[in-house]
Amino acid sequence: MTYSPRLRRRANFFVFLAMLSVVAGSVLLGGDIERRALVAASQVALLRPTGSAQWISLEPLAEMIGDGEMCEWQPASATQSLATALLQERDAPGGNAGRSSDSAIQVDLSQRKPVRMIRDPYAAYSSVAVDPTNNEVVLTDENLFNILVYNRTDNTPPAAKMTEPKRVIGGLKTKIEFQCGLYIDPQNGDIYAVNNDTVDTLVIFSRQAKGDVPPDREVETPHGTFGIAVDEEHHEILLTVQHDSAVVTYRKTAKGGESPIRLLQGDHTLLADPHGMALDAKNDVIFVTNHGSVHQVRPGDVPREGTMGRGFGKSNWPLGWNDAVPGSGKNLPPSITVYLRNARGDTAPLRVIQGPKTQMNWPTGIAFDPRRNELFVANDMADSILVFDASASGDVRPIRVLKGHKSRIKNPTGVYIDAQHDELWVANFGNHSATVYKPTASGDTPPLRVIRSGPEDQPALSIGNPHPVGYDSKREHILVPN
Amino acid sequence: MHAITYDPIHDEFSVPQQFGQAVLTFRGGANGEEPPLRVIQGSLTQLQNPDRLDVDPVHNEIFVPQDDVVLVFPREAVGNVAPIRVLKGTQMPVGRVAVAVDPVHDLLVVGGSQSGVGGRLLIYNRTDQGSTKPRAVIGGPRSGLGTVQGPFGVYPPRNEIILGSRIGRRGEISEMASENFYVGVWSTQDNGDIPPRFLIGGPHGVLRQVRGVALDPTHKSIIVSDKRLNAVMTFYVPEIF
Repeated sequence: MTYSPRLRRRANFFVFLAMLSVVAGSVLLGGDIERRALVAASQVALLRPTGSAQWISLEPLAEMIGDGEMCEWQPASATQSLATALLQERDAPGGNAGRSSDSAIQVDLSQRKPVRMIRDPYAAYSSVAVDPTNNEVVLTDENLFNILVYNRTDNTPPAAKMTEPKRVIGGLKTKIEFQCGLYIDPQNGDIYAVNNDTVDTLVIFSRQAKGDVPPDREVETPHGTFGIAVDEEHHEILLTVQHDSAVVTYRKTAKGGESPIRLLQGDHTLLADPHGMALDAKNDVIFVTNHGSVHQVRPGDVPREGTMGRGFGKSNWPLGWNDAVPGSGKNLPPSITVYLRNARGDTAPLRVIQGPKTQMNWPTGIAFDPRRNELFVANDMADSILVFDASASGDVRPIRVLKGHKSRIKNPTGVYIDAQHDELWVANFGNHSATVYKPTASGDTPPLRVIRSGPEDQPALSIGNPHPVGYDSKREHILVPN
Repeated sequence: MHAITYDPIHDEFSVPQQFGQAVLTFRGGANGEEPPLRVIQGSLTQLQNPDRLDVDPVHNEIFVPQDDVVLVFPREAVGNVAPIRVLKGTQMPVGRVAVAVDPVHDLLVVGGSQSGVGGRLLIYNRTDQGSTKPRAVIGGPRSGLGTVQGPFGVYPPRNEIILGSRIGRRGEISEMASENFYVGVWSTQDNGDIPPRFLIGGPHGVLRQVRGVALDPTHKSIIVSDKRLNAVMTFYVPEIF
């Protein structure tokens, strides 16, 4: 877990807002109103069931802070019945209230609004791919859960708030959530988008898809898929599986609950929290970026079938956490591991790029440029793009590093080589932007073009799948792991 | 990362690292690429899929739920250490399980969800170990505990358990978002199929896929994460503090 200076400044900003709201609330709600509220709250503790309505709380409406971004408020009608039914259970004759220590306190705060909400109102780009046939660029958004399509040559003017996408695919029907991998079919423009961690489904949309529409095709995947590579020659889809340190391969036309046709998993693979994946079709090898955390799974000759959940009974399904060997976990240095495309089972990599000279720090997206035999790595935590010779092995320095304030690279998670137009694309999760360079760019080189999803001066919150939340009472900071 | 716990006495926070089967503890003011103060990891730990945890700063212990057991480590443990206690509850839910410690009343609350059963809260004595029957179980159709959504908190001064849950069965769409999510408050003295004492933020409120809950008693607030909104919200709820 790391906190960049930007995150720290942002945290301080929210702490300041929180303190401001408390002070403002005291001023606005002070005196008699606050006293009455406190008295009312105290009375709640004294209330007992009477069979008739009782005043149980005074609830001042909270002012929104910031830009007022808030979900649309829902009518309370249906709600009331659900909430009331639950609450009435406490006092229902023959109910269970008697087993409670104090069954009298029953308060419905289901319609209470938050006094503060930390939420980024703008798209946070996580992966990128170009559709050269249609001259479009496609970006996934891990914040608002959309797939966004722009003209490839769009360039957001410095004074503009953002560039509006040509098309947006998003909504509950789309099954789009924390999307991190992307592939555009060069033949027909179909969009293959990988969900990580929450939806366990590869969704495939036609190029014409728009709005809240179901995917044209979907494939059930293991939990925690991240990167995607598609082999057009052999008609295969390859996906990395972060949680189980594996690579699964499907038929390109797979759909529904179809099993993978191949599985790469095991100690010898050196897969360790794999993320991005790139294919060198000519040499028939795949490159996988690994963050480094890994554990052993039940070794040996057990059948590679799913043993739980949606993978139960499916062939070539990764062994999951219930097959993890207790106490076998370790944290390895980040790496790029290289395999034959059709490697299966517990197969060692052909080569490994790993070590301090590589500068890798959460290497995430990866792209292969066959013209120069180069690998481009989105180096998330170092705010850089690392370029390696694709034949490299061991602890080697990148042949180029693209990094710096002028480059505008911030927490890059997606990278793409547009060979047709000789351009390098970067999806910057940390600053609402996708940036374009010459593939030979190096050092602190400004981008050729920028597509922004939000105002230039609006910091990205970098929240992605906030599961737990903590509170540092000493500093009055909210801790948000992602 | 599916849990984080701040220890106000020692000014530290701890997180589980599921893939590397580790528990990491950092300085409270950690910033940037700062290494953890302590790491629990190795063959003796029995850590298999550490996903959640809680720290008891009073008795200096770390509780790590895992499948149908709870592993207890000394708070200051470093490296490859065995747990000092292992609780194997006879009614322990399996799957995603979270824990919260009440160091004042010496209680351990274990929450989890089971397919076909829904969410359950099991209340143990803090020092229970081995195969032990819980002193109380909260759950059932009237409880509204469709699931235990994530890390939750206890508030010892009022014997409260505060957690995110949902009403009703999961449907395909509601896997991603639903209006049935809420934050509920039960008592550590409840036992049985008991509805929550308070409903906060839902059902049919602002929440769409509630996850973790943290408490800020000083400001009489709870802090709630929501996956679908990809947001963190603060609710002012003086009624529960």
